Amino acid sequence: MKRTPQGCQSRLPDNTALKQQQLPAYRLQLSATGVLSGFFATGVFCLGVGIILILSAKSIKEIEINYTKICANCAKLRENAVDFDKECTCSIPFHIPETMQGNVYMYYKLYGFYQNLYGYILSRSNSQLLGTDVKDVGSCAPFRESHNGTPIAPCGAIANSIFNDTIILSYNLNSSIHIKVPMLRSGITWWTDKYVKFRNPSSNNLSSAFAGTTKPPYWPKPVYELDEEDPGNNGFINDDFIVWMRTAAFPTFKKLYRRLSRTQRFIEGLPAGNYSFNITYNFPVTRFRGEKSVVLSTLTWSGGRSLFLGLAYTVTGAVTWLATFSMMAAHLMLKERKMFFSQQ
Amino acid sequence: MWCWIRRQLGFDPPHQTETRTIYIANRFPQSGLYTPQKFIDNRIISSKSPECNSQPHILEPLVLPLPQENMFQYTVWNFVPKTLFEQFRRVANFYFLIIFLVQLMIDTPTSPITSGLPLFFVITVTAIKQGYEDWLRHNSDNEVNGAPVYVVRSGGLVKTRSKNVRVGDIVRVAKDEIFPADLVLLSSDRLDGSCHVTTASLDGETNLKTHVAVPETAVLQTVASLDTLEAVIECHQPEADLYRFTGQMMITQQLEEILRPLGPESLLLRGARLKNTKEIFGVAVYTGMETKMALNYKSKSQKRSAVEKSMNTFLIIYLIILIAEAIISTILKYSWQAEEKWDEPWYNQKTEHQRNSSKILRFISDFLAFLVLYNFIIPISLYVTVEMQKFLGSFFIGWDLDLYHEESDQKAQVNTSDLNEELGQVEYVFTDKTGTLTENEMQFRECSINGIKYQESNGRLVSEGPTPDSSEGPFYRNSLSHLNNLSHLTTSSSFGTSLENEIELIKKHDLFFKAVSLCHTVQISNVQTDGIGDGPWQSSLAPSQLEYYASSPDEKALVEAAARIGIVFIGNSEDTMEVKTLGKLERYKLLHVLEFDSDRRRMSVIVQAPSGEKFLFAKGAESSVLPKCIGGEIETTRIHVDEFALKGLRTLCIAYRQLTSKEYEDIDRRLFEARTALQQREEKLADVFQFIEKDLVLLGATAVEDRLQDKVPETIEALRMAGIKVWVLTGDKHETAVSVSLSCGHFHRTMNILELTNQKSDSECAEQLRQLARRIEEDHVIQHGLVVDGTSLSLALREHEKLFMDVCRNCSAVLCCRMAPLQKAKVIRLIKISPEKPITLAVGDGANDVSMIQEAHVGIGIMGKEGRQAARNSDYAIARFKFLSKLLFVHGHFYYIRIATLVQYFFYKNVCFITPQFLYQFYCLFSQQTLYDSVYLTLYNICFTSLPILVYSLLEQHIDPHILQNKPTLYRDISKNRQLSIKTFLYWTILGFSHAFIFFFGSCFLMGKDISLLGNGQMFGNWTFGTLVFTVMVITVTVKMALETHFWTWINHFVTWGSIIFYFVFSFFYGGILWPFLGSQNMYFVFIQLLSSGSAWFAIILMVVTCLFLDIVKKVFDRQLHPTNTEKAQLIKTNSSVKCLDSMCCFSEGEATCASVGRMLERVIGRCSPTHVSRLWSASDPFYTNDRSILTLSTMESSTC
Repeated sequence: MKRTPQGCQSRLPDNTALKQQQLPAYRLQLSATGVLSGFFATGVFCLGVGIILILSAKSIKEIEINYTKICANCAKLRENAVDFDKECTCSIPFHIPETMQGNVYMYYKLYGFYQNLYGYILSRSNSQLLGTDVKDVGSCAPFRESHNGTPIAPCGAIANSIFNDTIILSYNLNSSIHIKVPMLRSGITWWTDKYVKFRNPSSNNLSSAFAGTTKPPYWPKPVYELDEEDPGNNGFINDDFIVWMRTAAFPTFKKLYRRLSRTQRFIEGLPAGNYSFNITYNFPVTRFRGEKSVVLSTLTWSGGRSLFLGLAYTVTGAVTWLATFSMMAAHLMLKERKMFFSQQ
Repeated sequence: MWCWIRRQLGFDPPHQTETRTIYIANRFPQSGLYTPQKFIDNRIISSKSPECNSQPHILEPLVLPLPQENMFQYTVWNFVPKTLFEQFRRVANFYFLIIFLVQLMIDTPTSPITSGLPLFFVITVTAIKQGYEDWLRHNSDNEVNGAPVYVVRSGGLVKTRSKNVRVGDIVRVAKDEIFPADLVLLSSDRLDGSCHVTTASLDGETNLKTHVAVPETAVLQTVASLDTLEAVIECHQPEADLYRFTGQMMITQQLEEILRPLGPESLLLRGARLKNTKEIFGVAVYTGMETKMALNYKSKSQKRSAVEKSMNTFLIIYLIILIAEAIISTILKYSWQAEEKWDEPWYNQKTEHQRNSSKILRFISDFLAFLVLYNFIIPISLYVTVEMQKFLGSFFIGWDLDLYHEESDQKAQVNTSDLNEELGQVEYVFTDKTGTLTENEMQFRECSINGIKYQESNGRLVSEGPTPDSSEGPFYRNSLSHLNNLSHLTTSSSFGTSLENEIELIKKHDLFFKAVSLCHTVQISNVQTDGIGDGPWQSSLAPSQLEYYASSPDEKALVEAAARIGIVFIGNSEDTMEVKTLGKLERYKLLHVLEFDSDRRRMSVIVQAPSGEKFLFAKGAESSVLPKCIGGEIETTRIHVDEFALKGLRTLCIAYRQLTSKEYEDIDRRLFEARTALQQREEKLADVFQFIEKDLVLLGATAVEDRLQDKVPETIEALRMAGIKVWVLTGDKHETAVSVSLSCGHFHRTMNILELTNQKSDSECAEQLRQLARRIEEDHVIQHGLVVDGTSLSLALREHEKLFMDVCRNCSAVLCCRMAPLQKAKVIRLIKISPEKPITLAVGDGANDVSMIQEAHVGIGIMGKEGRQAARNSDYAIARFKFLSKLLFVHGHFYYIRIATLVQYFFYKNVCFITPQFLYQFYCLFSQQTLYDSVYLTLYNICFTSLPILVYSLLEQHIDPHILQNKPTLYRDISKNRQLSIKTFLYWTILGFSHAFIFFFGSCFLMGKDISLLGNGQMFGNWTFGTLVFTVMVITVTVKMALETHFWTWINHFVTWGSIIFYFVFSFFYGGILWPFLGSQNMYFVFIQLLSSGSAWFAIILMVVTCLFLDIVKKVFDRQLHPTNTEKAQLIKTNSSVKCLDSMCCFSEGEATCASVGRMLERVIGRCSPTHVSRLWSASDPFYTNDRSILTLSTMESSTC
C-alpha cells in the first residue's frame, strides 16, 4: 500500500522528511558508558591543567607593601581637601629576599575604592576623550564645568579622581648608594586604548588644543602637562590616565603603574637586596576608609599570581573522578542486581 | 466592565421591543407615523471578539449579542491601534510596556532600548501572526458575504451580494442553494407551497425536512405576482434556538386583512440547503449576525492550555522573586548609604539634582531602577517564542501523512494552535458514537424472513446456517424469485425442497421486500426520476442512479437494500407509490401513513396493491411490533433479532396485515375522524393507530449495520492503556449503544455493566446510584462499565451530582445514551470542574456535538458525512477516529515535551542571566551598575539564546514516534502536567541560580580581587568582567539546551553551534569598531582582550564544565536508578525494529541513514547491555497488543494505582 499522489488527492500532504518529522538525526542518549568515559577524560584534563596552573602560579614572586599606615602623616594631611597643594612625601624601605626574575611589574592597589559605581562609570565623555569634540561634557555630571562655566577637560568623576601618587623605586646597594630603578611608563595600557580610543584633539600645540577648557577640580596640573619628562605622553593619551580610565570591576583593584626597564643591573630582573619606595603622597584614601599599597610582581604566560584557577581545576578534576568511580560502582551494582533478577 | 463601557458608548443598544415588524419587500404603510426599524446588514463577521460575546446568554437572556462589526473587525487602517490594544491587554506585554515607560521616565541604568526593542519585536511578531489569521477569517467571511443572491426588487429579480440582503427583502433560492438569511417561506414551485430542506450543517440531521408556506402566499409563484403582495410579518426578536419561531403574517388581500400564524415550519434557516425543490421565495426576517446560525455560532471561547496556566503561575513566582530582589536591593542600598562615606565619597559626588530631590522620591525611583535592572528575569521572549512554536509546530499535524485519509482526501486540520500541548494531557475522552466511532453509513446486513436468517452479499441473499429445508451447505436463494428466475429455483429445488414450499417462500420474500420498499417516508431526488416512467427498466443501474433522501439513515439503507435485491422503489407521486419489481412497474396507491412516533416506536402505511388488495405494512422496533403479531415465525424471529442486536446491528421488525375492504372502510373512517378532531387530536390518533396496528403477521426482521470505523477498538484500547478514560456519549438508544460499545471494545465482556436507566423520579435515581456505588465497592477487582440514559442523567445531575461523579470515576467505561447535545456539554463541564480538574477531550462529527466540542478542553471534529459544523467549531479536525491515537500519543506527547522544556528552559536561562547582575550589586554598593553592556542585555534573549530552543521546540523527538504510537503507556509519563510540576520547576530554577552563582563567583574569584590575567601585566576592567560572565553564560545555556536535545538534526547542530559562533563573531565585530552612533564605547576591544588571555579561556572551559557537571550526574543517576518508562523506551530503539512497521510514510533515505548511524552507535557505545534492558522491558510492560487479557490487566493496574 504505497501512497502515491493521485490527481484526486489534492490535499495529500507532501512526503518530505521535514514535514513528516523524519529528518535524519542522531539520537543523543546519555549512556552510562559514554558519560563515564567522558567524565574520566574530563577528570584527566582538569587535573592536568590544574597542576600546570598551580605550578606556574607558584613560580611567581610578588611583594605588596601597604603604605596607608606607614605614611599616616601624609594620609592625615590629605583628609582635608584644602591642603591639596601641600606636598607630602614618604619613603618606605623594604627587602627583596630573592631575585625577581624576568619582567617585573609595579602596580598600585586600592582597597575600598568603588570604581564601579553607576554614576561614576557614567561620568565620562567618550567623544571628548576621542578628541573629536573637546568641549563635549554632556554626560560628565557632576564634573562638567568649572564654576565659571568653562568645560572641564577631561571631564567627569573618573578623570577627576585619578590616582596621582608618584612612586619611585630605588635600589639601595648600601646605606649611601641609592640607585633609581629604571621604570617604563609605556606598554601599561591596552594598545587600542592608547592609539584608538584616546586621542588628543588635533592641533599643532597641545596646550592650544585644550584652549577653552579647564583642568578637573582635583588636578594640580592641566591634562597637557601630565608627564613632564615625555611630551608625547601628555593629554588624553597619557598612559597613567588611560589606565585609570578603565574602571575596575571590584572595590579592591590593582592597576599597572610601571614596568621594569631591564637594562644594566636589572637585566635579569630585580636582584635581591634592599629597596625603598619614595612616594609623593597625593591620593586621599582615608576619607573613605580605604587603603592603598604598591605591588611588585613577576608574571607568567597566564597572568598574575593566583592559585584559584589551578585549584579550581584540580578540585574539579578530583570531583569528576570521584563521580566517575561512584557512578561506575552504582552502575555495576545495578547490573549485578539486574542479572540476579533475570536469573531468577 | 468592557461590555458596560461598550453599552455606554452605544455599541450595544438594547432592543427596545420584544418583537419586530417586517414589511415584506419593504413596502412601508403609506399612512401613519412609521419610522422604519433599523436592522443590521446580512454580513457575517467571524473575527475574534472578546469575552463580551460569550456571556450574555447566561447573564442577560434578553439582551442579545449584537454584531461586533464596528468594534472588532480589523481593517487596514485600524489594524495597528487595535493590535496594540489587544497586545497590551496581555499581562506580560503590559508589564514590559510599564518597564519601558519607567525606563523612559526615570534615570535608570539600562537604556529604554533594552526593553523597548524586544517588546517591539514581540509585538510585531504576534501582530503578524494575528493579522494573518484574521486575514484568513476575513477572506472566508468575504466569500460568504459576497455570494450572489437573487432578490425581488421593483418587480424584477435583481442579482446582488449576500451581504446586501436586508430584512424585508424577498429572496429567491434555487435548488441546492444555501439560504442566505433566515427566511419566512412565501411560496415554492409546488402548488402546496412546500419545500424540502436539509439542515445538515446546522444540527447535523441529514434527513429532508418539509417546510410549508402560508396558503395565501403559496400561490404567488412568480416574481410579478409576488410584487403585488402586501403583507406584514410580526415576529420575535432573534434568538438562538433553532426550533423556535413564533410570529404572524398579516396579509392584505382585496382590502381584507388575513392573519396567519407562523411557526418554525415556515422559517428557512440560514445555512440550510434547499433540496428537491426547484426554487422558493422567502422574505428575510433575520439577517447577518442575527440569524439563528450566527447566534448559534458561539464565538470561540479562548481555551487556555494547562501549560499556559502553569506558565502564568511561574511568571507570578518570578514576579515575586523580581520584586523581592528589587526590595532587598533598595533596602540594602539605603542601609549602606546611612554611612556618609558610602553615600557620597569624594570621588563620586552627587549632582545638584540628586541632592535636592526628596528622599521618598529617590527611594521610589531607586526601587523602580532596580526593577528595571532585574526585569529581564521575566522572559519577554517567552511568549513570542511560545506563540511561534505553537503556530509553526501546528503545521506538523496538517502535514502528517499518517493523519491523511485517502478515501475522503482529508488531512488533519488545526483550527487553534494554542492547544497543541494539551493533546498530551488528555485524561478523559468523550466521544460521539454515530459518525465518530462508526462510519454513519447504514448498511443492510442481514434479515430474517419467516424464521430464516439471511445475509446479504453482493446484492444476493445468502441463507445462514442450517435452514429447515436444507441441512447441508449454504443454501443460495436469490430473492428476485420471480418467474423469470425459475432456473435458479430449479437448482435450489434439486436440494430436495418441494416446489410448493419454494413458492410459499417466494411469496413471503416478495411480501417482505415489498413491505420494506413501501413502508417508509423516503423521498427521491427529482432529477433522477426523469425518464423512469418510460422505457424498460434496467435494474442493474437502478441503485446507483436513484438518490434517496430519508429522515432516518436506516430507512434509506433498507430501501436501497430492497432495490439491490430487485424491488426498487421508484418514487411517489401524489397518492401512488411506484415500485419496480424486475422491470415490472407496480403502482401502489398510498392510502394512509401512520407516522413514526417515539412512543409507538413503529410506523405503518396502508396501501392498495394493483390487484386491489389493501395491505397494512408496519415496521418498528421489535419490542413494539412483536407483541402485536399473531402470525408468522415470532419466536425464531425474536431469537434472530437478539442475535442481530448482539452483533451491534440495528434491528427493525416488519409485519403486515391484509385488510378486507370492510375493515379498511372502518379504519378510513376512524382515521378521518381522528385527524379532523379539534380536541385531543393526539390521543385520538394514538387510539386509532392502536386499533389499526394489531393482528399483524410477522414477516421478518431486518438488521442494519452502522459499520465501525477502521481500527476503532484498537484505538479505544490504546487510549485506555494510556490511562485515558473513554466515555461514549450518544443520542442513540440504549440497546444499540450498548451493542456498539461492546463491539468497539469500549465495554468488555469481562466488565460488570451497571445501569442507570429509565429513572423516573429523583429519589428512585438517588437510591439506584447508591446501590451502584455499593456494588462498585463490593467488587472493586473487576472493571465496571456504566450505562446512563439522558433522562436519568438529568435527574442524577440535578440533585446528586457528587454521588454520580463518584460512581463515574470508579467506572472504567461510561456510556451515556439518549443524550441531547446540551447534555453532552453538561457532562463534560461536570467532569471538568470535578476536584481533580482533569483535561477533557471531546470527539464528534455532527452539529449536535458542537456544544460538547466547545466545552471540552480540546475539541476534535471528525470530518464526516454530517457536514462541517463540528470540524469548523473544533480545535482540531481529523478524518477518522483512529487518527486520535497518533494525534495524542505522538503529536500530543511531542508538543507537550517540547513546550514544557521550552517554558522551563526560558525561566532557567533568564535566571542565569539576571542573577549575576543582582549579585554584582553587592560589589558596587547597590549603585545599579549593570554587569553587562546594554547591547548584550538586549540581544541575549532575542539573538544569542533564542534559536536553539525554538528549533528544539519544533523538532525534538525524545523517543521515536513509532515507539510512542505503539506503546500508549508512555503517555502516562507526561500526564498531570508532570514536566511542569512545581518540583521540576524548582529544579530548573535552582539549576539556574546555581549556574549563575558559578558564573559569577567563578569569574569573581578569577579576576575579582586584583589579578592580572594577561601575560603583559595589563589589567581588565568591569566590562571585561561582565563579558567574561556573559560569555560563560551564553555557552553554558546553549550547551545545556544541547544536553536536553535528544534529536539532533542538522538544523539543531546548525543553530546550537551557530548560536555560540554567532555570539563570538558578533562580539568581535561589536567590540572591534568604535560605533559612532552608540554613546558608550565601553566594549571597545574588551572581548578580544579577554580572549587574548589564556587564563580566561581556561576559566571559561572550567566554568562551563562545572555548571553542566552536576546536571549530567543527576541525569545519569536518575536514569540508572529510577528510569521512567520513557527513558526505558528511549533505550529500546537501538535494538528494536519497530521503526518502519506500521507507518507507510517512512522517509526511506533518512530511515536508512538513521538506521545505519544507529547501528554504528550501538557498536561504539552500546555496550551497556541493551539485551537485558530490552528483555526486562518486554517482560514488565507488554507492547501494545490486541490481546484483551493483557489489556484488561493493564487497565486494572491503572485504575488501582
